Amino acid sequence: MAFASIYVPDFSIQAVVRAEPPLQYAQVRRALGTSEPVLRQQAIALIEGHPPLEKVVTMNQAAAQAGIALGMTKSQAKQFPSTAIRLRSYAQEQIAHAALLDLGWSVSPRVEDTAPDSIVIDLTGLAALFGSEEVIARLLLQRACDLGLFVHVAVSSNLEVALHAARGFPGIAVIPAGKESARLGPLPIQIFSPPVEVIETLDRWGVRACADLAKLPLLELSERLGQQGVRFHQWARGASVRSMILAEPQLRFEEEMALEYAIEELEPLTFLLARLLDQLCARLSARSMAASAIRLRFTLDTYSQGESMHAPQDSNTDAKKTYEKTFTLPVAMHDAKMLLKLLRLYLQSDPPAASIVHILIAADAAPPRMRQEGLFLPSAPDSAKLELTIARLANLVGKSNIGSPRLIDSHRPDAFEISRFAPARSTRGIENNIGFPAGREPVAAFRVFRPAARAKVSLRGGRPVHISFANMHGKVTVASGPWRTSGEWWREDAWDRQEWDIEIQRSPAANANAIENASAEPQKTVYRIFFDTLQQAWFVAGMYD
Amino acid sequence: MYTELHARSAFSFLEGASIPEELASACAEQGMGAMALLDRDGVYGAPRFYLAAKKVSMKAHIGVEVTSCAGWRYALLAETRAGYQNLCRLLTHMKLNAPKGKGSIATENVAGRTMGLICLTGGEEGPLTHALRQGGIDLGTQMVRQLCDLFGHENVYIELQRHFCREEETRNQAAIEIARKLSLPLLATNGVCHAIPHQREVLDVFTCIRNHRNLNSAGRLLARNSERHLKSPAEMERLFSDVPEAIANTQTLSSRLQFTLEDLGYEFPKYPVPDGKSAMQFLRERTYEGMIARYGSRIADNNKRIRKQIERELDLIEKLDLAGYFLIVWDIVRFCREHNILVQGRGSAANSAVCYALCITAVDPIGMDLLFERFLSEERGEWPDIDLDLPSGDQRERAIQYVYERYGKLGAAMTANVITYRGRSAAREIGKALCIEEETLNRLTGLVGAWEYKDANDTLARQFHDAGLDARHPLIRKFFDLCVMVQDLPRHLGQHSGGMVVCQGQLDSIVPLEPATMPGRVVVQWDKEDCTDMGIVKVDLLGLGMMAVLEDSLKIINRDYGQEIDLGRLPANDEAVYTALQKADTIGMFQIESRAQMACLPRLKPKCFYDIVVQVAIIRPGPIVGKMVHPYLKRRQGREAPNCLHPSLEPVLERTLGVPLFQEQLLRMAMIAAGFSGGEAEELRRAFGFKRSEARMKDVEVKLRRGMERNHIDPETQEKIVQSIVSFALYGFPESHAASFALLAYASAYLKCRYLPAFTAALLNNQPMGFYHPATIVKDAQRHGLKVRPIDVTRSDWLCKLERNGEGFALRLGLRYVKGLRETIADEIIRERARRSFRTIEDLKLRVSDLQKLELTALAEIGALNFVESSPKRFHRRDALWQVERAARNAGPLLDYAVVGFNPESVSDALAASGNSPLAPMTAEERLVADFRGTGMTVGPHPIAYHRHELQKQGIRSATELHSLADGTPVRIAGSVIARQRPGTAKGFVFLSLEDETGIANAIITPQLFERDHTVVVHHQFLVIEGKLQNQENVISVKAESVRPLDITQAETTSHDFH
Repeated sequence: MAFASIYVPDFSIQAVVRAEPPLQYAQVRRALGTSEPVLRQQAIALIEGHPPLEKVVTMNQAAAQAGIALGMTKSQAKQFPSTAIRLRSYAQEQIAHAALLDLGWSVSPRVEDTAPDSIVIDLTGLAALFGSEEVIARLLLQRACDLGLFVHVAVSSNLEVALHAARGFPGIAVIPAGKESARLGPLPIQIFSPPVEVIETLDRWGVRACADLAKLPLLELSERLGQQGVRFHQWARGASVRSMILAEPQLRFEEEMALEYAIEELEPLTFLLARLLDQLCARLSARSMAASAIRLRFTLDTYSQGESMHAPQDSNTDAKKTYEKTFTLPVAMHDAKMLLKLLRLYLQSDPPAASIVHILIAADAAPPRMRQEGLFLPSAPDSAKLELTIARLANLVGKSNIGSPRLIDSHRPDAFEISRFAPARSTRGIENNIGFPAGREPVAAFRVFRPAARAKVSLRGGRPVHISFANMHGKVTVASGPWRTSGEWWREDAWDRQEWDIEIQRSPAANANAIENASAEPQKTVYRIFFDTLQQAWFVAGMYD
Repeated sequence: MYTELHARSAFSFLEGASIPEELASACAEQGMGAMALLDRDGVYGAPRFYLAAKKVSMKAHIGVEVTSCAGWRYALLAETRAGYQNLCRLLTHMKLNAPKGKGSIATENVAGRTMGLICLTGGEEGPLTHALRQGGIDLGTQMVRQLCDLFGHENVYIELQRHFCREEETRNQAAIEIARKLSLPLLATNGVCHAIPHQREVLDVFTCIRNHRNLNSAGRLLARNSERHLKSPAEMERLFSDVPEAIANTQTLSSRLQFTLEDLGYEFPKYPVPDGKSAMQFLRERTYEGMIARYGSRIADNNKRIRKQIERELDLIEKLDLAGYFLIVWDIVRFCREHNILVQGRGSAANSAVCYALCITAVDPIGMDLLFERFLSEERGEWPDIDLDLPSGDQRERAIQYVYERYGKLGAAMTANVITYRGRSAAREIGKALCIEEETLNRLTGLVGAWEYKDANDTLARQFHDAGLDARHPLIRKFFDLCVMVQDLPRHLGQHSGGMVVCQGQLDSIVPLEPATMPGRVVVQWDKEDCTDMGIVKVDLLGLGMMAVLEDSLKIINRDYGQEIDLGRLPANDEAVYTALQKADTIGMFQIESRAQMACLPRLKPKCFYDIVVQVAIIRPGPIVGKMVHPYLKRRQGREAPNCLHPSLEPVLERTLGVPLFQEQLLRMAMIAAGFSGGEAEELRRAFGFKRSEARMKDVEVKLRRGMERNHIDPETQEKIVQSIVSFALYGFPESHAASFALLAYASAYLKCRYLPAFTAALLNNQPMGFYHPATIVKDAQRHGLKVRPIDVTRSDWLCKLERNGEGFALRLGLRYVKGLRETIADEIIRERARRSFRTIEDLKLRVSDLQKLELTALAEIGALNFVESSPKRFHRRDALWQVERAARNAGPLLDYAVVGFNPESVSDALAASGNSPLAPMTAEERLVADFRGTGMTVGPHPIAYHRHELQKQGIRSATELHSLADGTPVRIAGSVIARQRPGTAKGFVFLSLEDETGIANAIITPQLFERDHTVVVHHQFLVIEGKLQNQENVISVKAESVRPLDITQAETTSHDFH
């Protein structure tokens, strides 16, 4: 019995780099005249965080040698021109991990998913198919290379030894039976990823390599470090025996398609989406599952010619490069036609900004809805249909204009937000305790003009005397104000305005002379107008009913 | 004409955004003749407001917004002194009956304390708004009626505020209706919270800090607009044009408010004198008693002069009615002496022979010819300032508690210390309000408080760039603007370290009292400066680390050497002391141990006590900025002839070789050259001092020149005299103060030279203090031959102590230096050890059951457990660590004697499988790392010593070798950095002190080199420096040409960095 462990060093970095366009990647490799990992020759650091405050979260050895340190900001890291800076991508890490598992499953069905960067493969019986353990290890190394991963492979009859050797030795390490302890001996104990306090204790003891640990008396070690210590001791001696934990096929439903030609229109895209959704729904159905959410990711064709693919890209460019949307469904469903209709509507209302070169569609799996309607309950709209209707409305009026309005706690006039429509929830606004004396609260209703109408206002002594807006002209008969509000001075969308409540005698512009016409009955209306001091313009905010 | 009668300053703590001075000056600019300051629950800003108003000839009305239990605030104005006293008592009652920073007042507590107070109905937080919100106009009317009942109908004003807000205006209309109904006067105010509109941003940030929100989440807690600034009378008149009486009434009310802080009514307590004598008689008696004790035989020689001086002083004390004050200070000093607490007066009090006779000070002002007027003068009309130095810690607390006991809870209090927004505190809180994430905030706050010196390239953009941040980002820009705006605004009230005020009768009628964080302490609402400005006498009881060191040294000498040392009778001219001083061998000595002092000592070569006085005073910003150090040193070395500017000034400047070094000289110069009286001369010093004003300086200068003209001093000399006075007055040191400090410096030097073990133990037991880290103090002591023994749980106490070492003493480090070890645990170890010695580590753990694993590990790692177990082989640190790991694991219930009630000793025996471990002993490097990590020092060889051989091969010289090299020799030195300085006066030069096993070498980094190798200089602890040796009059330093890190150890040494 033998096990091969595959370990991906600098996993996060590799995950990002392998996702870069393969053509250029191959070109770089050719240019270097080697199949050796480009990574080893290129200093790379990954950053994470919100611009402009991203910091380095990991880097490879070359970057560390160049002077990059963890926690540096992006601008600090950029001072090292030899180092490429990339944004960390958890998504790519997941895909890289899936690829790693695929690598295992490509030679054996018995694979252990040990860690994001490590798997173990049971090599039992594979000799007849592929040859010796060393040959298999080389094959794995080669296939990993084709998958864009540069890995360490270690083979041993002991699963744990294989796992730890892969972390400690670069390239291929085949450890003969009986030599486990000797081979692991010089490796640092950090290969066991022990907890910090154990590392500190061992460091205080001067125990830094596996051989040092293996020399300690087991019983006394167990008195000090407990079962944890025993386990590390066994690992260090290569004497730990455990069974393999086979990786369960995951409930992961993803379909993707790389396109030879970029798609720009919705119709052909719908056709492709239909195909992918059919496959996805078929897989869901086969597992008695349904989709609770659909995730779409399009890779967009935004590169301009001649731009280096390996140039560091800031997050904005990255955001433009992909189009990612998640559509959460009110009920889990596996009706491909219904899902397609929804996706079409979503895409119509929020189309991608450029043509598409790659499609990834994934479903979050959930058990399908099993519901027994009450016999005497009034019939509610079908949730799936309701969602469809809301999506249609959103398509018509814009996504930001459908939902339930909710007041925001702010002095900003007319500040509200639209939250997702949820009929069952209370939509009561925040308490309006703004200080009118009891019994003197305003009684008039106010009709808000959205957006506020631009107006021309004439002033006398600082007070409005005449106004014209939207084909209306009128003399201000009464004006109350100004009422001043300003705020959010720390943001770019700060506001500062002076409001007036005015009563005007008005007439439609078409009948402008009517105001002067004494026989006509002048109409009196109360408006709220304001002068926006930042825009230096007058607007009508609305009218009092 | 409008007068603003409702304004808050930043002393409303987070509810106002301008300091009182800003409000007063804005008010003056608007042409208002008066203004009322009503801060929340206090008169914290009143003295500053009063003084600022006085400067601009404006009347400062005082009031307070007092929080009521119902949640709103009374807006009260003091009409008369009785009203102010009621206000203070009301606040004291409220504060002393609630936790610190909290408190509110019930209506029944207000009743009976309303005389002399005017009540406004307030703005948004006022009672009327509260009532209108709750129950409309009916409840509003009822509330106003209640206020009338409480304060009297004629003392209630219906307040109207207009901030361009609809709801407020609706309330105003209701208020006008109520005023008409109840025939009450209307009063327009603006409820001012800041002087200018832009400060609204600060107010918003403060609102966030107060409510623990950030700007994005604070919502309607923030200001609706920027209208709460101080508006001009014309603007207010326009705003209230529909209710002109509301404007007119501001003037009427202002003229009703008679009270200002000028009319405080403070009285100093009368000292209880026995036998019906007067205080003056009693003081005379005590003074003459003291005079005989102090001067002893000398009195016969100088009888006339001493008596004359003392008489002169006593006469002035009598004239100024200060006998009580002197007796109170004398009483505190007497208490300290009776309780063996070291005490010494410092500052200008040392100019007084009466203070010397009363044992308040230790410097003989007659012998040193000090100027009494610097301390007390008739013209000044101020209380004298006596500062007492006491050993920091418990002893000082005893003295403070004595004052409380003696004058009662409401008769004495500590002065406050107003903590202002500065540097990092400002940056952190503003950053949080702006929602800047923690890590970025750390970066941003790290930028604040950089080096003392800033060169032209130290721009904000550069600093941000260095920290990896983009200064162009709007958020970061806003952050910086706000940081600048909040600088120096009050943040909260702390307690001054030693200032105490006492009062005849009720201090709470002069200024409100508050509880301090420390139990048993009461604080007044004003800080030290405010108390002085308001004419309240204070006594400073200051804690001085060196006093504690001296006191502890004497105790150790008494206990271990069996010798009684009297600091007042130390040998006057101890040779060892002056030899050490001349060699700048002064680590640990008071005031003369810094790098700058050390660089001066070999040039000044002190030979007598007065030289130490000069030495203490010369390395100060005054002489340095005034460029007086070099002329003095040159003249002292005979390289330049003394020049006293004018023959008439010779008696004054002769002893400092014509260079004015002390404030007293400056005063005397003015007295002699321009015929100033003592008081006028002191006035001159103040005019050019910290609170300098252009107009005042001009006046004094004119007077000075006129006086010199009268004395026929030629214009050139006049100019020189004026220049030396002007440049020096700001930073000068009084000679008396320097002399007091020199006494301590001499005492510390004497103890270090003669009783090194005791002095070092005391110094280590009082850390942190002084210029150097304990690691440097230990190494210095070792170089002087002291054997320093490591921490050992079988021997060490909490404090460092002496152990017999043959004929002499060795120093045993105390457990206080074990990082992470609690004092209570150390005490338990010592108690258990005294009962029976520990047999094993297991035994130690079982008997000191609260000992935590981290503490045990820390002890093992530094070798403190090496002597617990007896073992055939040498028991080393790793053996101990091995045992600790088992001992520290919790026993199961079967073996837990605490649960099953076993005898711990038998359990310990059962478990005592002690002995050596399978682990290899630590290497020297590992021990070094462990020592520095666990104690911050090593008693073993210096890290450099292990590598001296290789360093020698690289041509690296030791610190002592440098003394034998000629000036200009190219050299290479290496060591651990123990101090980095970039003084403001050094034009961007950086001074590094590098320690090796032989001593300390100094290096000078030029601004260019610093610019180039900034990271290496600032961040590396071990350096190799190459450059040219400078040996100027035995002051050795290396002018660096290159600097590189030295990678020889992982030990985390520390340095004292002034940046």
